[in-house]
Amino acid sequence: MRQYLLVRLGLVIPNIFVLLTLVFLLLRVAPGDPISAALGGRLPPEVLAERRAAAGYDRPLIVQYFDYLGDVLRFDLGTAVSDNRPVTTILSINGGATISLAVSAIIIAIVIGLPLGLLAARYRNSVFDVVVRIFGILTYAAPVFFVGVIAITIFTGMLGWLPSGQQAGPIYQATVEAKTNIFLLDALLAGNGEAFVDGVEHIIMPAVTLGLLVMGVLVRMIRVNVAQTLRDDYVEAARARGIPERRVVFHHAFRNAMVPFVTVLGLQVALLLSGAILTESTFSWPGVGSELVRYINARDYVAVQGIMTMVALAVTLISFLIDLVNALIDPRVRY
Amino acid sequence: MRLSWGRKAMVLAAGSALALALAACGGDGNGGGAAPTSGSSGGEQKPLVFGTTDAFGTVDPAGSYDNPGWEILYNTGQTLLAIPPKGTQPEPDAAEKCDFSDPKTYVCTLRAGLKFSDGSALDSADVKTTFDRMIKIADPNGPSSIFADQLETVEATDATTVTFKLKIADTTWPYRLTTAAATIVPSEYAQDKLQESTPETVILSGVYKIEKYDPSQQIILAPNENYQGSKERKNSKVLIQLFKDEASLKTAVESGDIQVAYRSLNPTLIKDLQDNGAAKGVKVVTGDGTGISYLVFNNKKAPFDKKEVRQAAAALLDRTTIAKLAYNDTVQPLYTMVPKGMDGHVEAFKDLYGDKPDPAKAKTLLQTAGVTTPLKVQMWYSPDHYGEASADMYQEIERQLEAGGLFDIELKTIAWEQYKEQYAAGAFQAFQLGWYPDFPDPDNYLSPFYATNNFIGDGLGYSDPKADELLTSEKTEQDPAKRKTTMEELQKYEADVAPMIPIWQDKMIAAVRDGITGVEETFDPLYTFRFWLVDTSKAK
Repeated sequence: MRQYLLVRLGLVIPNIFVLLTLVFLLLRVAPGDPISAALGGRLPPEVLAERRAAAGYDRPLIVQYFDYLGDVLRFDLGTAVSDNRPVTTILSINGGATISLAVSAIIIAIVIGLPLGLLAARYRNSVFDVVVRIFGILTYAAPVFFVGVIAITIFTGMLGWLPSGQQAGPIYQATVEAKTNIFLLDALLAGNGEAFVDGVEHIIMPAVTLGLLVMGVLVRMIRVNVAQTLRDDYVEAARARGIPERRVVFHHAFRNAMVPFVTVLGLQVALLLSGAILTESTFSWPGVGSELVRYINARDYVAVQGIMTMVALAVTLISFLIDLVNALIDPRVRY
Repeated sequence: MRLSWGRKAMVLAAGSALALALAACGGDGNGGGAAPTSGSSGGEQKPLVFGTTDAFGTVDPAGSYDNPGWEILYNTGQTLLAIPPKGTQPEPDAAEKCDFSDPKTYVCTLRAGLKFSDGSALDSADVKTTFDRMIKIADPNGPSSIFADQLETVEATDATTVTFKLKIADTTWPYRLTTAAATIVPSEYAQDKLQESTPETVILSGVYKIEKYDPSQQIILAPNENYQGSKERKNSKVLIQLFKDEASLKTAVESGDIQVAYRSLNPTLIKDLQDNGAAKGVKVVTGDGTGISYLVFNNKKAPFDKKEVRQAAAALLDRTTIAKLAYNDTVQPLYTMVPKGMDGHVEAFKDLYGDKPDPAKAKTLLQTAGVTTPLKVQMWYSPDHYGEASADMYQEIERQLEAGGLFDIELKTIAWEQYKEQYAAGAFQAFQLGWYPDFPDPDNYLSPFYATNNFIGDGLGYSDPKADELLTSEKTEQDPAKRKTTMEELQKYEADVAPMIPIWQDKMIAAVRDGITGVEETFDPLYTFRFWLVDTSKAK
């Protein structure tokens, strides 16, 4: 286990290095900079050039690159040029909204997707199975923003049941003290039931929309793995011993489908982050994703770079943790 | 440590249960929590819930140079002078009086007893710090350019007297002191870098103070108990709710989540609210805005290097139709670069070219220029910077210019980042630009465009000794009446030369819920929202 751990840890470092290099290069390929984005329409060109130089945007790329790596080593993610907010502040405030959305989406995906996949495998080739398979394909293939806009049109526009955006109504946001920056949790900590209910109403549509994206993958993956396991010899042996089919499916087959399940769930985190950007933009959800879009529009390299760096580090860390969990679940993984 | 499978399952189950509990243990609505803040009926002040799609940045005046940031500063800070609601002339605010002692020396005396929101005294040393640090920091996104070219020194002559020594005689100086850039900050602010924007670190002396500053979700302005001034606050506090898109902003005001939706609702959403808002308890309030849109010619590039060609284009434009078709009348025709509502505004283009297209006049002008018609012209516009409606506007301009067969327009667009670089390099023949004022003085609509060192540079390719002479004259003239006459003369002159053509000025537009009053009072050339004027006592 120790050797496995060291090898995985050793792979993390080059992974991070490649990701950081990509983040840096991709941002420098894009045109513009925060200075000209803010003042390009107001100042004579020569004054603009002076200000760009003063801010360091005319330095050689290689110098900027090594400065960037040095800052990351010190965990200095910079301060947004357009609003003077430290990136760490952005991450701590808006990260809460993203985490609450992602966790809710995963819970919805698991709570609905897991039984659907299991039952589809149990009753494979039935009408139910066909319906679940179609559902899995549709939810995976449908663009998040499309599903979001349809949901808003129906549940906000036509029925008026759910709010179309934000974490909570303005009054509730004002009255609930932000301790964790996760609104639902803060509302609970404040003992404010009305605010909590309001927060739940606000999170339903974005969480379900994002959850559907993950659900499509989970349903198909669980169905295939469990169905395959159900044909294995040891499962047949279990049946032959007279173990009820329900127990065979849920105890024997599902247990063996756990490793790919956890792996896929981990991979979905990366998908979830990209999906969250679209979901947050669609639902005006004040998470890291929508902030990222805002800073991209402002051509704020510093903020975008800082946020992207954190996302890259998070994805690498999650991949590492998934490897560890898999190794714990299934000892064969370690060899 | 190795866990047995049973243990692992228990750990996983416990984690899932906790996560589920967090998501599912919703209250029953009677959870015993604090009720949302609300005022009682009977005229008591209540919070104003305001929604906007504006993006907010720093609240340090040395680094803020946009409408949203200035709006916060106007409401939380004080300047020596201020433009009163519906007014156009600077009046004392933090100052008791201000005046030129000579054309290059401006002296202000502070009011007695001024305090910052933390209770500390505000004196002349703080005013000196305000200007010195701004020019020293010279933040790339900041407004130091408003002062740096004019200000030689600022001195705290005594505890309540501030003396500004100017590099040049400049009658716009008092106006510059009314901008949010001149918001007075304490001497304790960092001298070489911007102050963080948090409730603890933003210390100003205005009618409100910052209680919460999260530019991604919500900003809260609470009353500043230490405020010393004449502004009467008509609400108990202000919740500024930030929206990512216009449609959500409209939905929020219709549902009652917010009481005022301001900046920005696009023309289609405004039209819908005008037609159907009353049934939902929403009305649309409008006022003259001071943002303008104009068409720039490259005066050094054919065919617009000939005055008659520029004049012919001016004679063919129908601004009223543009305002109606492209903007649902959410903008109004503009016939000079100085918008209506400002001193010295004269409709110079209307006087010269009329307000209806005149193809015969245009044809004569082009014949005089000796050009072959139809003139092939590439015209550039930027919907990603100036909004989708600008595509409609330029299609209509294309139609109008081509109607008489005199022009053959090819419309083109590229992303704003390239657009800026290309026009500044003088690559375009004709192109779209827009402008919002730094301060509500007509000079801010004249010098930036018509002076030899104008900000458009090679894109405009315009330098005119007579224009420079008139600009210098109006900037140094102490007599307001003579100055106004000079500015009128300059506008008439530029309408004839037509290096650029004004198209429209915007309107300040807000969607307001029934029972909220006072929004109209803040719609004036200052182009900022004075929250203290909005009365919420009759809010439903």
